[in-house]
Amino acid sequence: MMLSRHAESLFWTGRHVERAGDTARMLDVTYHALLESPHAEAQRTWSELLDVLSLRPAFEATDDHVSARSVTRFLVLDPTNPGAIVSSVGRARENARSIRELLSTELWETINTFWLELMELDLAAGIEHQPYELYRLVKRRTQEIAGTAAETMPHDDGWRFLLLGWMLERAMIVCRLINVRTMRYTSGEDELDFYRAVELLKSASALEAFRKTYPGAMTLHNVVGFLLLSPTFPRSVLYSIRAAEARLGQLVGPGALARPQRVLGRLRADLDFADPIELLNGDLHAALDDLEAHLRGVADLVAVQFFRNVDELSFLHAVEHLG
Amino acid sequence: MAADVFRGYSQQGFFDEVFGADGTVRGHYEDVVARLRMLSPGELGRRERLRDDAFRTAGITFTVYGEDEGVERTFPMDLVPRVIPADEWAVVEAGLIQRVTTLNMFLDDLYAGERAAVRDGIVPWWLVSSSAGFCREAFGIPVPYGARCLVAGIDLVRDVEGTYRVLEDNLRNPSGISYVLENRAAMTRVLPHVFGSLPVRPVDHYGMSLLAALRHVAPPSAGSDPTVVVLTPGSYNSAYFEHTFLARQMGVELVEGRDLVVDDQVVSMRTTRGLERVDVIYRRIDDEFLDPVVFRNDSMIGIPGMMAAARAGNVTIANAVGNGVADDKAVYAFVPALIEYYLGETAILPNCTTYLLWDADQREDVLARLDQLVVKPVAESGGYGLVIGPVASDETLATTAELIAANPRGYIAQEVVSLSRHPTLVGDRLEGRHVDLRPFVLSGERIEVIPGGLTRVALRPGSLVVNSSQGGGSKDTWILEADDDKDDGEDDGDGHVERHDEPDGA
Repeated sequence: MMLSRHAESLFWTGRHVERAGDTARMLDVTYHALLESPHAEAQRTWSELLDVLSLRPAFEATDDHVSARSVTRFLVLDPTNPGAIVSSVGRARENARSIRELLSTELWETINTFWLELMELDLAAGIEHQPYELYRLVKRRTQEIAGTAAETMPHDDGWRFLLLGWMLERAMIVCRLINVRTMRYTSGEDELDFYRAVELLKSASALEAFRKTYPGAMTLHNVVGFLLLSPTFPRSVLYSIRAAEARLGQLVGPGALARPQRVLGRLRADLDFADPIELLNGDLHAALDDLEAHLRGVADLVAVQFFRNVDELSFLHAVEHLG
Repeated sequence: MAADVFRGYSQQGFFDEVFGADGTVRGHYEDVVARLRMLSPGELGRRERLRDDAFRTAGITFTVYGEDEGVERTFPMDLVPRVIPADEWAVVEAGLIQRVTTLNMFLDDLYAGERAAVRDGIVPWWLVSSSAGFCREAFGIPVPYGARCLVAGIDLVRDVEGTYRVLEDNLRNPSGISYVLENRAAMTRVLPHVFGSLPVRPVDHYGMSLLAALRHVAPPSAGSDPTVVVLTPGSYNSAYFEHTFLARQMGVELVEGRDLVVDDQVVSMRTTRGLERVDVIYRRIDDEFLDPVVFRNDSMIGIPGMMAAARAGNVTIANAVGNGVADDKAVYAFVPALIEYYLGETAILPNCTTYLLWDADQREDVLARLDQLVVKPVAESGGYGLVIGPVASDETLATTAELIAANPRGYIAQEVVSLSRHPTLVGDRLEGRHVDLRPFVLSGERIEVIPGGLTRVALRPGSLVVNSSQGGGSKDTWILEADDDKDDGEDDGDGHVERHDEPDGA
């Protein structure tokens, strides 16, 4: 049992931290992959990055044109962008501060120190001169937060809500990453070359793990299959969904299934039995769009189930959104 | 060592906590002074910065209003501890128990009793009923055991003779206890060899004592395992760190108004598994924001129906509603008489000399020498609205005189207390700075004084204002164990014992 507001803050702390780490990871890969690319290719890739993070409309509202510099600044340090790294970390820290007494001192200090560090850095200079170090710092700190949470928090409901938000966010982002980055290959516009495959895998920190699973064969269906369906790689969509499902099961307890559990369970079962070749021969993008929409639906249902005053109408409303 | 942190130190005629009038170190400070002298001047400053970094990392901050929509600051802590010997503390403790016992009786008499102190002419009714802290809505609301000041913070100062006097009572939401505990934790980390030199009484049981007191005052309907919560205005409140600290120390939920709901005069909190009944609310929200049904209807942080639940005896609100009447600075002047009235005792801790300005004779005298007195608004706390005559401009004095003339009930005047001073790190050496002391007193099954307290220090040279909101800092405060052995120590019971620990890395 815990306060609904606390549960919600933990859930969002997890989501914001995951988002900050993912953004840094993708910026890092994009920046370094494009150092030697032709201008048009670079512009397209930066533009895609905005799609992966669902931030295209927000970026267009700034009236800036797409370039490495403008997108990077937007994603790292623009305080008006709610998805910028500074915003994600700031919000994670604000959420954590509002539930200070629920977190272990070590976890709070890890989050707070990270935020103080970012505030003290000259981020604009960092992305110009030392982008690698900046992104590495963000990745390291988010990993440190994950590790500190696992090692110092009791694995009770609070920790479960933190992980639930964290894993749902990860599943959604990786789902969209696959969706956006494979768009031109599955439409036959282009062939997946080695470098692009590497870039896609690196964006999910999956390159090494992929190589161990599929030595040598970097085909599209292997790459998509791995990122989507690997049962052992912790950033795959299936793995993240299973992790979220396990936390949700513990939160609900034995007995009747709760609604978010039913939806999440169905998604997981679909992926359990999915075949990457079949997915690629069919409409992969429609399938991924649908999966992502359902994951959002699960997040909404979690909010209704645990964070709001439960009433049937809002349940029905949330379920309707799932189509 | 040649360059000593005490070089050039001067008492400048003030009562100094460490040095006697003849310049010798007081017995209970000998070990601390000796250990501090082992540190090079730069070393103490370096350790203070270590402490500041540690506080920032831990988020031990308070919010200062008025500058850029609230800035988080660490509360400056001076590393030179304040030491109080056991015999001196015994007097302070007895005085505090006496005072808080009386204040609880007075409040319970006013709100739930027959108003005997008013009836018998000890305190005039017009004074009570004109107090901003007086609360008609609190009439008839029961408080188990009359423990209305569950947590009291009594501000003490020492005058030129070194006598402890009560400066003011804080009976609503006194804050600062978290600094008492965090300062201690910081001292033991940053200056372990200085700390290890004396038998200092621990303070870290505060959370357990507070929880026990809160459970003790649960309404009878709560049964044997009452649910206690801490109610905060939210993370933007200046004392939010303390609220989270207390909830963690007690292991109870920290709730905001929106987490609570009143249904059928029962208060519950919204949880992930539905509503959960609450029996005791340690609230850190002012009276007027507590319940928009009864008080300010624009309060977004209150809980509609909470007062009705309290009146029905379904929940205990601590501290009790309406306590402000007893820490009104004009009512303060009557506390010695109330002690006499309720307990038949003389006040152990005297007040500061106070003038009541509705009395024409006293007012005339005060207005004639405003430049020698301190004037305070009766209902403020935190040092807001304070005018110190000797340092105020003519313009301020003129305005103050007008304010007094327009609303004599709204102010009191006091003789300037020449607060005692304490060596405090300034740059790389020690200088005397004025200090006060806020001990914390719990009213649970018995009245318990936490052995320690927040020593606040005015960091600006010559300043008498120690409040954190006015640029004050703090010191760890060491109450020494009584020396049970009663050996042949003939001097004033300084209670120090010889230890020969290796100094830590110095």
